Amino acid sequence: MTLTIETHNLTKTFGSFTAVDHINVSVRSGEIFGFLGANGAGKTTAIRMLCGLLEPTSGSGQVAGFDIMKETAKIRGNIGYMSQKFSLYSDMTVLDNMKLYGSLYGLHKAALSARIEELSRFLDLQTLHNRVTGGLPWGWQQRLSLACANLHKPRILFLDEPTGSVDPVSRRNFWDLIQELSSAGTTIFVTTHHMDEAEYCHRLSIMINGKIAAIDTPKALKRRMECSTLHQAFLKLVEGA
Amino acid sequence: MKLQRLWAVVHKEFRHIVRDWQTLIIVLAMPVALMFLYGYALDVNIKDVPVIVEDPFPSLESAAVIKAIDNSELFKVTGVVRVAVEPHELFRGKGVKAVFRFPYDFAARLRRPLDPPAIQVLIDGSDQNTGTIIRNAVEPFLRQAVLELLGKTVPPVIEVQQTVLYNPQQKSALFFVPGLMAMILMMISALLTALAVTREKELGTMEQLLVTPLSPAVIIVGKLLPYIILSAIDGLLVLGVGETVFGVRVRGSMLLLTGASFIYIFTALALGLLMSTIARKQEHALLMVLPITMLPTMLLSGFIFPLASLPVWLQALSSIVPATYFLQIIRGIILKGVGAQELWKPLAALSGMGLLLMAISIKKFKVRL
Repeated sequence: MTLTIETHNLTKTFGSFTAVDHINVSVRSGEIFGFLGANGAGKTTAIRMLCGLLEPTSGSGQVAGFDIMKETAKIRGNIGYMSQKFSLYSDMTVLDNMKLYGSLYGLHKAALSARIEELSRFLDLQTLHNRVTGGLPWGWQQRLSLACANLHKPRILFLDEPTGSVDPVSRRNFWDLIQELSSAGTTIFVTTHHMDEAEYCHRLSIMINGKIAAIDTPKALKRRMECSTLHQAFLKLVEGA
Repeated sequence: MKLQRLWAVVHKEFRHIVRDWQTLIIVLAMPVALMFLYGYALDVNIKDVPVIVEDPFPSLESAAVIKAIDNSELFKVTGVVRVAVEPHELFRGKGVKAVFRFPYDFAARLRRPLDPPAIQVLIDGSDQNTGTIIRNAVEPFLRQAVLELLGKTVPPVIEVQQTVLYNPQQKSALFFVPGLMAMILMMISALLTALAVTREKELGTMEQLLVTPLSPAVIIVGKLLPYIILSAIDGLLVLGVGETVFGVRVRGSMLLLTGASFIYIFTALALGLLMSTIARKQEHALLMVLPITMLPTMLLSGFIFPLASLPVWLQALSSIVPATYFLQIIRGIILKGVGAQELWKPLAALSGMGLLLMAISIKKFKVRL
């Protein structure tokens, strides 16, 4: 079992505020790792440090075998990232967005077309190629974001609240896709505050006020907190903190 | 590989520009519109300014002087009154800019050389430009008119020969073409890039770009290149309209002019980029760029107000305005045809400023990751 993400006392402070406080996380290759926490618990800050978007204040870490302090450029070539907010170009078409991100990840013509074809089939995007993305329903925008984050076949996918406020059916569909990607070998690092989604994760970490309060499988967590649902376990942990 | 990625960013940026066609039209039409506006509005040769004459005791002599005033190019007599009880009333007349008040004993005193008549001229100072022109013109004009009336000539003490170089007809186009170059290039380069970068930050698309393996430098260069091209097009538009419509020919080297313009564009881009690293929203960027780049370019560069007329502290401020140096350079090239060896000082200052600003903004851009 190889580790693809590993941190030691990773910390980020903004002035006197400690957003992420000495966290230690290890994620195994091919795992769906859930990163849970209330709003403002430090999830996004942590994920941004792992993606090389934010420089850690102290601590160390490795992502895909590269140092998050010094080798951020190499890390970025091996990961895909989907932020909370739709952040592709809404004035461009679905196809143009995919072409753009494909070329930014260094894919060439034939390989790029083949990959776009493959992902479009996987995500049911074929009929939408010429639609301007700004006008698409949110669920489809999310699928396109997933496609663009996957063009270069990253080893790790970082998903920051991918299903924010989407309807239960679309959420279910989206998780089917995530599970499919995971069984194909991609490591998934996902933040969420939907407890029903957390059940899909192989392992979970629960973050409270910048610290990790617990890391375990959903089953073990429930057993340890003596709860029947993750929801209750989560509330118990937060209230105990 | 790197080039392919750079090209992808450039290509994308061009798409945004073309898709946002309203802005594109403004960017291309504005230089031309401004040229015409300045070309016709900035004409300093004013004519037929309406004036009123107060002549309490009309005589042949006063009538002759009034006629001379009316016949002059500068003035047009729109009314002659006998008594102005309240001179302020007269300025309420349509467009009246001056009131000439003759004394009741004008004719009599003309014949007494030791006790010459005084003509009072009230000038509307609320319109400063016209007021100054009237003030400078009125005394020599009246003196000449009265001398002609009396059939006298005064032997000249000295003779002054004026020769205006570089702009003999005092055409205002020669003054505003370089100024507009400085203004428009600053506007496109600083304002549009600041907006373009801030927009991506605001929408979150910048974050998505930054998680790709692209280096920040490639992202910056890719985003800036299209604006360099737009700026160059606008620069050519100003020069083209300047030559064809207003007859402003570039006397010096076109190559030097192009080179200097690119240095200036580079400096302006760096300024815009710097603003965008500070601003979080497009409105902030707009509000920062206008006072920090546009106003100094118009007011402190020597474009509208001569630098020599500024107080010392404003002169010091003007020495950190890029347009100050750019104007020295392009006025030199366009009007006087001077070469690089005479212009090396402003060229060096401008280049130094550009490099410094670019270094700061790239550093700040990285920190923002």
